[in-house]
Amino acid sequence: MYLYLPVALTSINILVPVGLGLAVGLLSGLFGVGGGFLMTPLLIMFGIPSTVAAATDSNQIVAASTSGTYAHWKVGNVDFKMGLYLLAGGSLGGVVGVQGIKLLHAMGNADFVIKMTYVLMLGIVGVYMFIESLQSMKKNKNAVVEEAKTEKESAMGRFLKSLPLQARFEKSGITHSVFVPIVLGAFVGILAAIMGVGGGFLMVPIMVYMLRMPMHVVVGTSLFQILFTCIEVTFLQAYTNHSVDFILAVLLLLGSTVGAQVGAVFGRKLKAEQLKILLAGIVLAVTVKIIFELTLTPALLLSQAGGH
Amino acid sequence: MHIHLHSFIIHYSRFIGSTRILGMLLLMLVFSLFQLVAAKPASAMLTAKANHDHITIDFFYHGGTVSIRGESDPNVDLVIKITSPEGHQVLKQKGKVGGMLWMNVGQLKFENTPNFYEVFSTKKIDAILSRDEMEKYTIGYTALQKHVEVTPVANEEEKAKWFSEFVRFKENSKVYATSFGKIETTMNKDGRQDYYILTDWPYQAQPGDYLVSVYAVKNGKVVEQAEAKVNVEQVGMVKALATMAKNNAAFYGILSIGVALGAGFGVSLVFRKGGGAH
Repeated sequence: MYLYLPVALTSINILVPVGLGLAVGLLSGLFGVGGGFLMTPLLIMFGIPSTVAAATDSNQIVAASTSGTYAHWKVGNVDFKMGLYLLAGGSLGGVVGVQGIKLLHAMGNADFVIKMTYVLMLGIVGVYMFIESLQSMKKNKNAVVEEAKTEKESAMGRFLKSLPLQARFEKSGITHSVFVPIVLGAFVGILAAIMGVGGGFLMVPIMVYMLRMPMHVVVGTSLFQILFTCIEVTFLQAYTNHSVDFILAVLLLLGSTVGAQVGAVFGRKLKAEQLKILLAGIVLAVTVKIIFELTLTPALLLSQAGGH
Repeated sequence: MHIHLHSFIIHYSRFIGSTRILGMLLLMLVFSLFQLVAAKPASAMLTAKANHDHITIDFFYHGGTVSIRGESDPNVDLVIKITSPEGHQVLKQKGKVGGMLWMNVGQLKFENTPNFYEVFSTKKIDAILSRDEMEKYTIGYTALQKHVEVTPVANEEEKAKWFSEFVRFKENSKVYATSFGKIETTMNKDGRQDYYILTDWPYQAQPGDYLVSVYAVKNGKVVEQAEAKVNVEQVGMVKALATMAKNNAAFYGILSIGVALGAGFGVSLVFRKGGGAH
């Protein structure tokens, strides 16, 4: 059955967004990512204008991450305190990011900057996570994780500990300056707004490797943080660009809210290393896809311009 | 006598003059009548009527069909052009950066372009219309290319390249098309030609007014022209949502977020009750 989308001005088979929502929601519940880096290009592939795809995806992530956060919160896997600091940074980043997009477009090289940042970020994160979790899986897991922790903390940790306003995050069992999650949250918030992604694929490794949080708490906390960042991005997109398609969002969230619940249940059955290596695999697959897109001659040399 | 004669001559000449004028008027009348009789079929010959000329977009809209029918002189070829009003369109332009990476390198502005352009003809357009006529009535991509302004381009060659990319982009979105041989023609009992075409109306065509122009073509020239209109309009909730997204953006944003939050919590509660989370 087809439904007409009033803002995207196109018609879509409802099985497509519901199915996409289910698949991406599953990943969301499993790994604590919004899944925008997968969803936005898929929606564009199915004929949704790029600006509408990105904005509407933010809207559906609100639903998926509410569902996912709730599922993780019930089993005590959300560090609200850490989440709130990340959120404070994320909100700041969201505002900066929306302005940044305008500036980049005015400068005329927006696409180059966005694409290169995207490829580099995904590539670095994917490769690092993949190698790290592979090593952890090969050896005695507990011993290696502990060893790696102390080793890395000595290098990075000393700098982080020297920062003022140190706070204890009980749920994650860590101590950090409040500026650390705020700055990292802002960084992810900027990218979320610019690329139309929730930023989870960056937030998760940042929490695991830089904040040293336990993987299962990372997933729940990341979703909690993404939820609020996406509320802000959805509002700004709807208000300034009129690019949120309500009907498309509803179709997507029908699948993604269920998918997020299933993902959260399934994720608890997997070990931290297994989760990390799976996420790394997906991130690397997306990186390879983008590299192909950048190097192969595109079918069409013109595309819809953003905005109005 | 002289005066009389003079007066007679004047009267006579006046009489002669009036007779001449009368005669001429009569002649003109007969000629115009003849012309009217002869020309009537020509000026009222070509008719055009679009069925399903009011297309409404509701939630279940997935495009439709439009049929155009009418009557023409026998032995003429027909061209049917459906267009939206002209405007300007800005599109992102992909190019190679550093000789190897494909990405958006700028924007191209296409002026005097319709968002929707479809041309159907009984035979191949090049075979039935002269180039001048095609340009005069903007029939066919070659004529449209001449009509459209593309900026920024360095020369005609570059314009041709990007216009052809523009057509590919539009054809891919199903809003540009040209084809021949789809118009059915039959001779009716009055010895005239009935024509009919049933064409798919793409759901990608945006709401608005569309003009259907039908041209009767003979000896490479357009000999007659008729018009019809197609209106595409959003209705009901589709219209309400589209209007709200534009005119009540803040409320629309809050509503979208509210529904997403509600759905997220709703599904969570369903799963909890169903025991799915444990």
